[in-house]
Amino acid sequence: MENIFIILLGLSMLYIASTSRLKAHINMLSLQGWLLFFICIFGLTHESWFNAQILQDIKSNWVHIFGIAFIILETLGVKSFLIPLFLNKVLNKTHVHRDSDANIPHFYALVISSVILFSGFMVANIQAPALKMISPLYFGVSVSIIITSLWLITIKHTVLSNVISFITMGNGIFLLSLAAAKEMPIIVNLGVLLDIFIAVFILGLLVKEINTEFEDLEVSQLSDLKDYE
Amino acid sequence: MISLILIFPIIACLILFLIKNRALNNLMINLYAFIHIICSICLCIEYNPFDIKQNLFAADELNKIFLIVLSIVYLAVAIYNNGYMKDDKSLTRKLRHYSYAVLLFVLSMTGAILSSNLGITWIFIEATTLASAYLIYFHKTKHSIEAAWKYVFICSIGIALAFVGIILLTIATGNLNSLFYNDLYSNAQNFDIFWLKLSFVFILFGIGTKMGLAPVHFWLPDAHAQSPSPISALLSATLLNSAFLMILKVFKVIIIAGCDNYARIILFTMGFLSLFVAAVFVYHINNYKRMLAYSSIENMGILAIGAALGGAGMFAATIHMIGHSFIKASFFMTSGNILKIFETKKIKSVTGLLEKDNKTGWLWILSCLGIVAFPPSILFISEYLIVKTMLQEGHYWMCTGFLLLLTIVIYGLSKAVFTMSVNSGKNQEKVKLSWTMYAPQIVLLIIAFVMGIYLPYYEIIANAVKGF
Repeated sequence: MENIFIILLGLSMLYIASTSRLKAHINMLSLQGWLLFFICIFGLTHESWFNAQILQDIKSNWVHIFGIAFIILETLGVKSFLIPLFLNKVLNKTHVHRDSDANIPHFYALVISSVILFSGFMVANIQAPALKMISPLYFGVSVSIIITSLWLITIKHTVLSNVISFITMGNGIFLLSLAAAKEMPIIVNLGVLLDIFIAVFILGLLVKEINTEFEDLEVSQLSDLKDYE
Repeated sequence: MISLILIFPIIACLILFLIKNRALNNLMINLYAFIHIICSICLCIEYNPFDIKQNLFAADELNKIFLIVLSIVYLAVAIYNNGYMKDDKSLTRKLRHYSYAVLLFVLSMTGAILSSNLGITWIFIEATTLASAYLIYFHKTKHSIEAAWKYVFICSIGIALAFVGIILLTIATGNLNSLFYNDLYSNAQNFDIFWLKLSFVFILFGIGTKMGLAPVHFWLPDAHAQSPSPISALLSATLLNSAFLMILKVFKVIIIAGCDNYARIILFTMGFLSLFVAAVFVYHINNYKRMLAYSSIENMGILAIGAALGGAGMFAATIHMIGHSFIKASFFMTSGNILKIFETKKIKSVTGLLEKDNKTGWLWILSCLGIVAFPPSILFISEYLIVKTMLQEGHYWMCTGFLLLLTIVIYGLSKAVFTMSVNSGKNQEKVKLSWTMYAPQIVLLIIAFVMGIYLPYYEIIANAVKGF
């Protein structure tokens, strides 16, 4: 079941690559948060301890319950609610709603990101025996999301688009960590979540400052510092 | 002691938040500096009477030297900061934010150094970016926004890629479900080589961004040039070391796993690229703080080359790290004096520094002599050892390239520094600054030059190399 959500997550990147409306990008971020939540929950159903009885014996199952609560906080709370809410606020304050001057037309961006996603599937499936302990579908989609996000950062023009691509890259990395089929210690997960959240918060504040100081929110405005003045 | 060093800044921030007094800002920064150095010394001599038992942080053989360097540089910067911020007309609120950021920045660097778990180190390295972003943005000008944006964005991407490296490392570890360095070292021989190699590439490029290694160094000149001078000193002399330590610890895993040849090639490549970038840019630059930033890139390249050589090269890298931290901190703090006196960062607009302020002039010249490894600077010994190791191992071409690039950097730096120091031709009005803006540099330079003449067999340095 989780495979459907993984594929949808990969497809959501195609939508982000092919549209210029920042509002749509933020909605996609919210959707990605939900998809990651479902991927985690359906992934957990394969675990032997995952059943209704863990709620009856909270004391002995507190580690699992804490883990589930953390996943809900991370995916639904932060990724699909807090970050999109904050970005929407930034969007309303800056009044920049489109990133229409990307270096590559949207149609070509769609084609290239489709090729990246397809390559991710192909490489992961062809190399499946060599990948040993990781799931090929998780691995292929997560790598293609990371690569597509990095590529989008290089072609998009507004700073807000760059922040959105940074967050989608974070979602790709989250999926990759699920691919490892091994849990990171909870303290590491917590730290990672906190760091990414604060990074987005600081970047959002900087976007507002850039909007006040500079004429527009174009990345090209941020090239005044040079070695030879 | 570890608990005190990590908890005090949080308490200090709380006190600053509750008691909104202007004088408290510097007091807390200075108090933490003194507590930091006392705790570091205690940890180095293994005097640890009242610590809470935990296993996430520890002072081991390798990180003690990094910790003591951080303490000394931070103490010097804290003292310098008293004079630097004395005439600052900023609002109390802005100064309070500055103090929060300094305290949290040093806390995150300390956490990154002391952490005994790769995941926790990663968290603290990311925290250094977030804590120092405000410090780079402190002046709130167009240029500082640009520098802060590039810093946060580029470093966050780099660190995210390093996290990919950590995930790949967990895949390489097989059944081992731990990121503690000791577990990684003791099981490294059983790791999957393919995933291990791949993880090293991601971690090196990711954390290399933070360390300022070329070709992922782009944030560094902008951030160093735009931040206040005490912060530039901290960024260059301590932050880059924290990132270097994390790379060293992962490199140690690679060495134990027996696939170090491949890692050494990447380290050599990034090291020489850093030297090349510095040599190309340092020659024509017209901003003395940017020039010092490129010098930091060059020195990080030397550290990477020393680590890649191993053996005596690693010893050279360790003492180079110490020398670079002390001299570069002094250099950046002196650049703060020049900025106060001339109110410009342009090399061409600064002439006759020796006439205008004799002490700053000499500090500027001596810092330059120290950083270009002019004997008896300790950097002379480290660079000599690196050259000797290259020749002993038969890397003649590499050695020639190393010396050639160093010569270009030395010429570019010295030319700018001496032009600024002399060459006035007109009567300069004398300027005098607070003693706290000279004393820290004098002490740091004395340490760096004395260590160049007499390097006692410091157990701590030897242990660091042994620990690696």
